[in-house]
Amino acid sequence: MSEPKSVLIIDDDSDFVKAIQTLLESSGYKVRSASNGRDGIQLAKNVQPDLMLLDVMMSERTEGFFVLQEIRRIHALHQTPVIVLSSIYSEDTVFRVDPQAGWLPANLFLAKPVDPTRLLSEVKRLTSEPADQRSSPAVGREKL
Amino acid sequence: MGAIPVSARENTVFVIDDDAIIRLSCEQILRKSGYTVETFANGHVGIERLKEVRPPLLVVDIKMPELDGFEVIKIVRKIDPEVVIVVITGYATIETAVDAMKMGAYDFLPKPFTPGELRMIIERGFERWRLARETQLLRQQKEEVERKFVTLVSHQLKAPLAAVKQYLDVLLFTGNAQLPAEAVEWISRSQARISEMLGLIQDWLMLAKLDRGALCDRNASSDIGKIAETVVHEYRQLPSVAPLTLTSEIEPGLAQARGDAVSLSMLVGNLVSNAVKYNRPGGEVKVSAGSDGGWITLKVSDTGIGIPDSFRPHLFEEFYRSKTPETQNIPGTGLGLVICKKIVDELGGSIGVESKEGAGTVFTVRLPKADVAGEVELAEPVGK
Repeated sequence: MSEPKSVLIIDDDSDFVKAIQTLLESSGYKVRSASNGRDGIQLAKNVQPDLMLLDVMMSERTEGFFVLQEIRRIHALHQTPVIVLSSIYSEDTVFRVDPQAGWLPANLFLAKPVDPTRLLSEVKRLTSEPADQRSSPAVGREKL
Repeated sequence: MGAIPVSARENTVFVIDDDAIIRLSCEQILRKSGYTVETFANGHVGIERLKEVRPPLLVVDIKMPELDGFEVIKIVRKIDPEVVIVVITGYATIETAVDAMKMGAYDFLPKPFTPGELRMIIERGFERWRLARETQLLRQQKEEVERKFVTLVSHQLKAPLAAVKQYLDVLLFTGNAQLPAEAVEWISRSQARISEMLGLIQDWLMLAKLDRGALCDRNASSDIGKIAETVVHEYRQLPSVAPLTLTSEIEPGLAQARGDAVSLSMLVGNLVSNAVKYNRPGGEVKVSAGSDGGWITLKVSDTGIGIPDSFRPHLFEEFYRSKTPETQNIPGTGLGLVICKKIVDELGGSIGVESKEGAGTVFTVRLPKADVAGEVELAEPVGK
């Protein structure tokens, strides 16, 4: 068996983190978490996760957006897939970010609460695809 | 916006009168009462200075050579709708006073007047100005509070619900096999109720945004065909939609519709959501888009349970939901169609419905094409 993939969750809602951590660990992922942007970036630099889950509305309302831009500036994390999570939108609202919106360089946006099946399949896809086949983080495109 | 700037400006009275004696006496009387006074012998000079200083109060003589008082009022009103204007009239006829009031003057002072009369009228004018400004500040604060409330509070309402639902989702996903059947059932029910509430908060947020005019963008244009196809595609992925057939039929080369992609996605999404929810196993949902003159026509039809005639008039009312044995277990907020109607109205379009109980429903939306000079054709009549 190969080395388990690692996922970093950056979210200030400890209940949400615990639920997602349980889900990902039950599918064999190694999960770490940080409850704010600063710790999250530091941890990301240290552990170089295979994927990051990032909340956009942490205590500093738009903190997640800045975290994401900061992450993209760090060479070692430039290609790391990032899923942005938010409860601003609900599941039946079509969460669509302009594919040209380079200001939000995420690979995928998902609404909170996230469907376990959907999350697992997206995490699997993004951690197994080679970087050049993924939807480009530079343009923050959502694969539909 | 925000803090009130305290300055000499707030104490300033302008006097425009061609009569030097009136100017001088006004200046002396008002200075003594603590006002800052600037006087002008003609309207042009006074108006130029008014643009810079923005005094709260203007006293202007009606009968002047060159620019008369009426013309001064007309120009000043355009520059500053808030300045309180008091007219001085030598011919104390009711007619001239009424005319001046109609043009936006607040009060009038017949010549000759005593210092006491002048002071009283000026004091009243300032009181009026302060009240108007307080009202405006309060209105701004209220709008600010509302804006913050809908964005921040709705997030704070949703976050705990999202966390609770996330626990239940994961619990059911990871422990389904070990849990007793009753636990699975109750967890599922809890999930459904939380989803209902999340949907309600979301819809309510959208309505608040729509009411504030912060959602629809009339100047944007969108490819409604592509939006319809995307929505259909997304709905096909949902497990609950599996027993239905969803199709889309888009006229090739369809023009852009007026409106931004977010509002139009919500519009199409809500209609498709209803067509799916009020359907029957094996039923169909069809979304079609085509053009019709200056309009884009979007149709969402289903082969569902239909809408009873008695419910039809209330379809676009807030929180109105049909309660029949067939529909009572269908989740919904009662706001979906209200949102659709508001979006369509905001964009200058229309929405209609045809339905036959037991056979199905067709919602038809007409939206102006983006390239049509819609303002000419659709705008409200201007003028009297």
